Amino acid sequence: MFKHLLTLIWNKKKQNLLMIAEVLISFLVIFALSTLIVFYYLNYRKPLGLEYENVWVVSYSNPLKTENGDSLKLFYKDLLNTVEALPQVKKTGFCSNNIPFYQNTWSGSLKGNGKEINNVDNYWVDENYQDVLHVKLISGRWFTKDDVLAKQKPILINQKLEKELFGKQSALGKLVDEGNRKIIGVVEDVKAKGDYSTPKVSMYMKVDTGSWHFIQRLLVKVSPNADAAFEGRLYKTIAGMMKNSNLEIEHLVDKRKSINYFSLVPMIVSLIVAVFLIINVALGLFGVLWYNINKRRGEIGLRRAIGATGKSVSSQLVSESMILATLSLVIGTFFAIQFPLLDVFDLPKEVYLIALVLSILFIYLLVFICSLYPGKQAAAIYPAVALHEE
Amino acid sequence: MLKNYFKIAIAVLKRRKFFTFISLFGISFTLTIMMVLAAFIENVIGNDYPDRKRDRSLYITSMEERGKNAMSSGSPSFYFLNKYAATLKTPAKISICSNGGNSTNTYVNNKKIAINYKYTDANYWDILEYDFVEGKAFDAQQVKNGEHVAVISEGLKKEYFGDIPSVVGKYIEADNVQYRISGVVKNVPITTYMLYSDIYIPYTVSKIDYLNKDYQGGYIAILLAASKADLQKISNEYDDVMKRVPMENKDFDHMNCRAESYMRSFLNTGNEDSSGLTEALTAIGVFTLIVMLLPTINLININVTRIMERSSEIGVRKAFGASSKTLVYQFIVENLILTLLGGLIGIILSYIIIQIINSADLIPYFVIKMNLMVLLIALLICFVFGLFSGVYPAWRMSKLNVVTALKEQ
Repeated sequence: MFKHLLTLIWNKKKQNLLMIAEVLISFLVIFALSTLIVFYYLNYRKPLGLEYENVWVVSYSNPLKTENGDSLKLFYKDLLNTVEALPQVKKTGFCSNNIPFYQNTWSGSLKGNGKEINNVDNYWVDENYQDVLHVKLISGRWFTKDDVLAKQKPILINQKLEKELFGKQSALGKLVDEGNRKIIGVVEDVKAKGDYSTPKVSMYMKVDTGSWHFIQRLLVKVSPNADAAFEGRLYKTIAGMMKNSNLEIEHLVDKRKSINYFSLVPMIVSLIVAVFLIINVALGLFGVLWYNINKRRGEIGLRRAIGATGKSVSSQLVSESMILATLSLVIGTFFAIQFPLLDVFDLPKEVYLIALVLSILFIYLLVFICSLYPGKQAAAIYPAVALHEE
Repeated sequence: MLKNYFKIAIAVLKRRKFFTFISLFGISFTLTIMMVLAAFIENVIGNDYPDRKRDRSLYITSMEERGKNAMSSGSPSFYFLNKYAATLKTPAKISICSNGGNSTNTYVNNKKIAINYKYTDANYWDILEYDFVEGKAFDAQQVKNGEHVAVISEGLKKEYFGDIPSVVGKYIEADNVQYRISGVVKNVPITTYMLYSDIYIPYTVSKIDYLNKDYQGGYIAILLAASKADLQKISNEYDDVMKRVPMENKDFDHMNCRAESYMRSFLNTGNEDSSGLTEALTAIGVFTLIVMLLPTINLININVTRIMERSSEIGVRKAFGASSKTLVYQFIVENLILTLLGGLIGIILSYIIIQIINSADLIPYFVIKMNLMVLLIALLICFVFGLFSGVYPAWRMSKLNVVTALKEQ
């Protein structure tokens, strides 16, 4: 039976070649799209790793003319106390400008355990960062005020970096960066570039006297009832203390929305385009199959006349299309499998595999649906009428 | 002859309505996507408000300093541009202004307004042709004196003051400073990001020390040439100046900072290894290929099917002496008529979609308009599409054997 179907397909190779090409390309488009969707979905299911509600970000340009670390430190301590004294402020903390949900990144490499990891996100934060953003501590502790005095600079790393550096071992207490830094804690991964992004390897360093000149962000955790009037007051208070600074206050809620928007818009556009492409392909397949059956009335009539049931005729036609689809899928899978094998886009392998399975199922379903009606029509052909026409 | 082909094409289209629907659906939808894309790109890069003299201007927007172990890129500083770009001899006029992306807040009636601000000099208003709704720009004397004057955008005026007829002479507070409004200009969409702003202020009142001697620091320069012929000269002159600029510090051994055309600076990635232009073109090319390839194959498939249906007609024509060439020609013309028909539907569809995009107000002040350029691009795409999807089926048709074609019936 199977061999017979293959012969039938081979006899009309020219026309089938076009159909195979069409299914093949649709498969590749679906594969690309489902890879994207699976990737986003798997990321979306992971925890965000921090609490962003009611956190405001104050950006200022460097206001003091002095390079003296101590007077800078004094000034910022004063600023922090003034802001925290305001009624609706819960907690504030300074940090570098690569705040979660912002486009800014700051990365470097980290040596440890005989390895060197590149592209590690570097966050400069102070001891209050944890109370403002509630980054989850897995083990160890957060920074304290006394950490400045330590000989080996204390750092925290995230789980991903711990895994890359030390495998299954605990990183706590380990010395890294040629013995210059000591890991005092491990925090949960943070999806810093929005809900649909993968967390990157990252390390947290404490803001110290030497770093005040590039720290230009103040995080302010406010109570839920803080409104624009209060924001205006906060703005005036800070502006009063930093006369020479450009100030801006933004809300992390808005920043999260806009960074998610940036990942979603391309996906939605490609989804719309893909849906139309698929409708297009489906209609095309349907039309060609339908036409082919009309052309093969004689053959089908003959089969019916020598005893084939309507069911077996329609299943023959459906199987023929499924074999065609399988041929395309074999070629398509060969190309698709190259992505995880060659690690083209640095995505986890399971993303490709899930996407591959999904797109194979989708194509089979599409071809099946498109051939169902033409198959049914073929089953309805009366042998006498069909043969009489010839 | 063409009239006959047209009649035949219409007759064939009417014959099998389902196939006609599939073909037209594919064609019109593909063209809609391509046209919306073309209209979007055309409006992003083709919008020449406010820099109407764009074709004889050069822009210095970024610099890159490189050393063995160090790389730093960003916009040049005021100091750097003032020293090396403002002293060029060939340009007719030179303006230095801060680059986009600076924002601050203001609070009015317990409402928060986010404001984009831009520091400019007086030449800025001569080189760029902003449309003033009221008032005028600040002049060189005011810039020199460091007066707190500002030109604001129409959108900001409405947001800050509400619907009042005139605001010139009134004060606006931004970044905790009071500025006297000297003029109101029409909105610039954010896609023209080098020139977009809500409020324009003299650079002399900048809170950040603009005389800071760092090479990088958030400013750009616009060089206006007396004529198009001077553009190359200016570019060369600036390159020569750059060759003699001492490195900022020991970490760097060479520097890349060029005066470029609008398109190149618009897409500048700040990296000398990759021109943004090539990347943008590749991205558009890949997208076009994916969007066009499937419908083309689909249309070829359907066309082949339809031709086989017409084998008797072709057989008769061949039997009466029509050459393969004539038949191929006829079929391609028929297919072009079909694509043009689809294109017409596509134009209507994309017009509707563009209206929806515009009313959704996705990008502030950015309005996509259908213009002649977009229509021409659409026509070109139609033509290419029709040609590609027609050639193979036509070739198949012309190879049809007369005897079998006639016998089949």
